[in-house]
Amino acid sequence: MTKYTIKRLLQSLVTVLVVATIVFLLMRMLPTDYYFTEDQVMKLTEEQKNDQLLAAGLLDPIGQQLLRFYGQLLHFDFGVSRRIQTGAPVLKVIGTKFAISMRLGCTALVIALIIGVFLGVMQARHKDRIFDHIGTAYTIFVNAVPPLVSYSLVLAFGAHVLNLPTLYSTRNVGKSSILPIVCLALASIAHYALWTRRYMVDELNKDYIKLARIKGMAFKDIMVKHVLKNAFVPLVQYIPASFLMTISGSLLAERFFSVPGMGPLLTDAITRYDLNVVQTLVIIYAALGVLGVFLGDVLMMLLDPRIKLADKGGSR
Amino acid sequence: MSEQNQKQNQNENPSNGFEFVEYSPEAAERIGYSDYSYWKSVFQNFLKKKSAVFMAFVFFALVIFSFIALKIGKYDYSSAQIMSDASLAFTSPNGEFWFGTDNLGRDYWCQVWYAAQISIKLALIVALGECVLGVTIGCIWGYVRSLDRIMTEIYNVINNIPTIIYMTLAALLFGQSFRNMAIAMITVGWLVMARNVRNLVLMYRDREYNLASRCLGTPVWRILVKNIFPYLISVIILRLALSIPQTIALESTLSYLGLGLDVNTPSLGILLRNARNYFLQYPYLLIFPAVIVSLITITFYLVGNAFSDAADPRNHV
Repeated sequence: MTKYTIKRLLQSLVTVLVVATIVFLLMRMLPTDYYFTEDQVMKLTEEQKNDQLLAAGLLDPIGQQLLRFYGQLLHFDFGVSRRIQTGAPVLKVIGTKFAISMRLGCTALVIALIIGVFLGVMQARHKDRIFDHIGTAYTIFVNAVPPLVSYSLVLAFGAHVLNLPTLYSTRNVGKSSILPIVCLALASIAHYALWTRRYMVDELNKDYIKLARIKGMAFKDIMVKHVLKNAFVPLVQYIPASFLMTISGSLLAERFFSVPGMGPLLTDAITRYDLNVVQTLVIIYAALGVLGVFLGDVLMMLLDPRIKLADKGGSR
Repeated sequence: MSEQNQKQNQNENPSNGFEFVEYSPEAAERIGYSDYSYWKSVFQNFLKKKSAVFMAFVFFALVIFSFIALKIGKYDYSSAQIMSDASLAFTSPNGEFWFGTDNLGRDYWCQVWYAAQISIKLALIVALGECVLGVTIGCIWGYVRSLDRIMTEIYNVINNIPTIIYMTLAALLFGQSFRNMAIAMITVGWLVMARNVRNLVLMYRDREYNLASRCLGTPVWRILVKNIFPYLISVIILRLALSIPQTIALESTLSYLGLGLDVNTPSLGILLRNARNYFLQYPYLLIFPAVIVSLITITFYLVGNAFSDAADPRNHV
């Protein structure tokens, strides 16, 4: 197990490094004009521009820049932000934002887990009856309708009927977070309901359930003690990743409700040529993604002793 | 005994000899004969589902109507752009402006239908591109053993970079236009399809009938196309059914963020971005685009799911 873990972590490290390198190179493909604000592009002469780029080390050969980048990474030096918050260390810029995203995301996720799994259980229990159809209709709606449309509908409903604020504000965090949280939870509820239902229905058709029923066990007990427990194992795999990914925030939901979180940071940083911020964010996201998958596997193994990780040989 | 008598005897007691029979489905089922044709049974299975057929009808009706709507509308999209008249802003739907006007007094009917058309066009092009690229790469990935490892690594790396980076970079590097957006979406979107196809090809490539086929000297392309492909169709269609709503969603998100189509093209994202601050007072600004686009995506999603069920050869028999 230890050997497996070490191997897996080393592999992940390579993946993260490759991802960071690729993004580094992709960002260098952008024309250097993006380094300046629109004002500067108009006003500065070519020489001034060149001087600034030279000072920032952006005109060096790409290999040299890359080596410098690796050197900084070795020292965990992520540099300073250029335009998002001029001069502030990147980690500080992120630090102020990720807490907001995480609070919204985690609340939404917890709500979604509770409601989603409950909905899925009820659907499996009342399979092919009216409750099941309503649940399925909900999942189809959430999966098929563009989030922008469903967010707009939530916003219209929340503002009209419930009189909730439509923009996030730091003065009234509790109330103004409700609509963003609902929007974030919508999709996750559908996801958990769908898979809980499917795994439970699969499980219900197995022989040991028939035996349990023949034995005369109460249906409710079978559902909770056998079916749900077994159906939950494949579901659990994605939960750590979902919790970790709340750090990255939701691009659309946060923009839509003007939440000052992590979601829009990445696109903002790219469009403003804030290279250090982009690279740091990408490294964080990739690391979280890899870590999430790993934790998911570990959690699944803990829940189901039949699953052995080492056999898989880290083939993902 | 005369000949006539013999014949009569046989007719009364058919087990005594042979006779010609009419084709009957029950008998055919009993002895295992079938006039099976793959696509025929796909359509037969599909047509059995009345709700799916109805959905397909609604979908095609909407697509066709989006073209008619632009023709019969009183304003053209291009002239509507010019004709922004502040005094007409927020006119509720009436005989002149069938869907009312937006915040700049432009006709909403032509904008909404144009946006619906753009969404459908983009989604179909992207889905087709994804499909061709994804299936081709997926087949090679799954069939050629030695490529599997390296392809999996490539997949992992690309998959670990957030999609939004590609889309933002594409918008900045190549400019914002319909074509660029479609290309950018295809170059990212094939991944999922390729992965699904690869997993299936891996599953079927070493089944006994393929082994036998290979031993008999069947060329690789024929094994892929004739032996394996029918098993893939249902998954490919399912992926398409998901991909089309996803493409429409991604387009609207990107356009909303200002990274999608350019601002003067009415698309779902841009319409809703413009309406974001007004639709509380003027709900029709939200309802018309929301209902039309949702109808398109939901019907397509359901039709795709039903068709994918029908296309699964395991459901035939």
